[in-house]
Amino acid sequence: MKRTSRGLAAAAAVALAVGSLAACGSSDGGGGGSDSKKIAFIQGVSGDEFYITMQCGIEAEAKKLGAKVTTQGPEKFDPTQQKPIVDSVVASRPDAILVAPTDVSAMQAPLKAASDAGIKVVLVDTTVNDPSFAVSQISSDNEGGGAAAFEAIKELAPDGGKVLVVSTDPGVSTVDARAKGFKDAAAKDSSFQFLGVQYSHNEPTQAAKIVTAALQKDPDIVGIFATNVFSAEGSATGIRQAGKQGKVNVVGFDAGPAQVKQLRDGTVQALIAQQPDVIGSDGVQQAIAALDGKSTKKTIQTGSTIITKDNVDGDAKDAVYQSSC
Amino acid sequence: MSVQAPPTSITTRIVRVQAFQILLVLIAIWVVFAILEGDRFATVGNMRLVAQNAAILAILGVGMTFVIITAGIDLSIGSVMVFSGVIGAKVMVAQGGDGWGTAWLGIAASVAAGLAWGLVNGVLVAKAKIPPLIVTLGTLGMALGLAQIITKGVDIREVPLVMQSKIGYGNAFGDVPMLAGIALVFLVVGGVVLHLTRFGRHTYAIGSNEEAARRVGLKVDRHLIAVYAISGGLAGVAGILSLAQFATTAIAGQSQTNLNVIAAVVIGGTSLFGGVGTIFGTVVGLFIPAVLQNGFIIVGIQPFWQQVAVGAVLIVAVYVDQLRRAAAQRGGRTNVLSRLRGRESTSNEE
Repeated sequence: MKRTSRGLAAAAAVALAVGSLAACGSSDGGGGGSDSKKIAFIQGVSGDEFYITMQCGIEAEAKKLGAKVTTQGPEKFDPTQQKPIVDSVVASRPDAILVAPTDVSAMQAPLKAASDAGIKVVLVDTTVNDPSFAVSQISSDNEGGGAAAFEAIKELAPDGGKVLVVSTDPGVSTVDARAKGFKDAAAKDSSFQFLGVQYSHNEPTQAAKIVTAALQKDPDIVGIFATNVFSAEGSATGIRQAGKQGKVNVVGFDAGPAQVKQLRDGTVQALIAQQPDVIGSDGVQQAIAALDGKSTKKTIQTGSTIITKDNVDGDAKDAVYQSSC
Repeated sequence: MSVQAPPTSITTRIVRVQAFQILLVLIAIWVVFAILEGDRFATVGNMRLVAQNAAILAILGVGMTFVIITAGIDLSIGSVMVFSGVIGAKVMVAQGGDGWGTAWLGIAASVAAGLAWGLVNGVLVAKAKIPPLIVTLGTLGMALGLAQIITKGVDIREVPLVMQSKIGYGNAFGDVPMLAGIALVFLVVGGVVLHLTRFGRHTYAIGSNEEAARRVGLKVDRHLIAVYAISGGLAGVAGILSLAQFATTAIAGQSQTNLNVIAAVVIGGTSLFGGVGTIFGTVVGLFIPAVLQNGFIIVGIQPFWQQVAVGAVLIVAVYVDQLRRAAAQRGGRTNVLSRLRGRESTSNEE
């Protein structure tokens, strides 16, 4: 059975390769005391500055409290990719999971299962339909952020006029709340006319199309609130395509390097920055409190900062998101 | 292969199949993770979840194996799956209720929707003679676009409770996830049809040499339409199962499902040139990325490495297939590993 032994040899070679890779991966995680707590952070999407800044906050706080952190995230903000990751993380039996669920209903059952397995679950940024299993939910005050966006537009266009919201997808709790906060604030001011919410499906090209079409219909739009990174990118492109630079104010949400560049370039006039680092460090505190049997806060809301060209290098410098810790 | 070749025992035949060699690779990967993190990785609970997460891809893999054995390709399955899920969800929302009656209506609607796309693919490939790559690339866009038009891009999240509790997160025979149980049924039926029936033999024949199959009187067009219809119908099944598992139509998801399934089929030893392949190989090909991802996360390696590893396995699998084809064309029998070592293999080496 020569061929069997060759097959086995090939298999052994693969085993060696996987093994050595795995060994160098786990070496940096090993060596800690057995009583140090293991925290797993599952991002909404990997490689995004918002979640990286949150990771920085988590790692800094965990270091202070003597806990160990591993971070995983799907390539896309997509529940079908995030669920297998959550399942695998649960199998690795961390003491606590900090997770940003990618869908209110799809992530309900997997995260409930994690909690049933005795893992303390802290929901960061986004949430699920029934978060009662979570020890804590920490998110930005997104409605407050939406209201702040309206305030920013009001300052940029004091005479009032038509305003539009470009959002991602309905059903994502955070962006829905931002849009609602903006809408409610706009409704209170009679000099502004709210044109509704359009959905870009998180695609800059789609957002650009929406904005050019909206400007065809209502050329006198004075302000657009783009509820996230890609919506803002696309909205700015759409305004440029329509030749309306300087006439339409775009207020973006979040303050990653791309948005800050847009702000400096003048394509976006203001940014509403969340505090992902605070969300992360609060999340770690709540998780540790739950593990120590102390009481936890069921919901925590963090604030937001309005960043404009004038304060981006001054007061609001620390509000800008990081691309690495 | 000459007539005088010594009769090969069933074990040597099994060993020679690429699917078996790839199975050894899978076992090796599994053993490594079991050694590194045995108490976390090699547990029933973890394997249950791995099986559950691979189940839907396995059902898609059955259809894809048939299609690729005919030397075709079906890029549309991810979109057809989303489309079918949307149709199923729409029907169930219109019907209302949380019981099995509503669920069965949704299942029927979803499978019918998938089947319809499969028939479109099949007719365009077989009758209009458009290359399958182009046909299914076209229907990929069309199915996804129509799903977005029907829903206005908004995910539907109203799914009957029985579907979520009994199918999505239910168990079959004791502790086996229901999704994995359903997938197993499709795999067994698919395997029997492919390996033991006339339909299966015709599939291989058409993939080996379409013109020859036509000349010996096989109804090639009808057969191709049937094969693409199977792939579409199974995408319909996958669509409704995904709905049961995620309780959302996840329109934005599944964009890489087609490539993941094709990779699994190819890793499992099915030749992109047609005529060769097994359902068993596809299952093994699916579990390699699934186990790698699961193991890497449990061990704590960046998940990006999983893509690197799967990509490498894929390329090696296709290289092995190429060597085998080259050897077969020279009339020799294949011994891929000795070819890899730079030796010519002959049929009477053993």
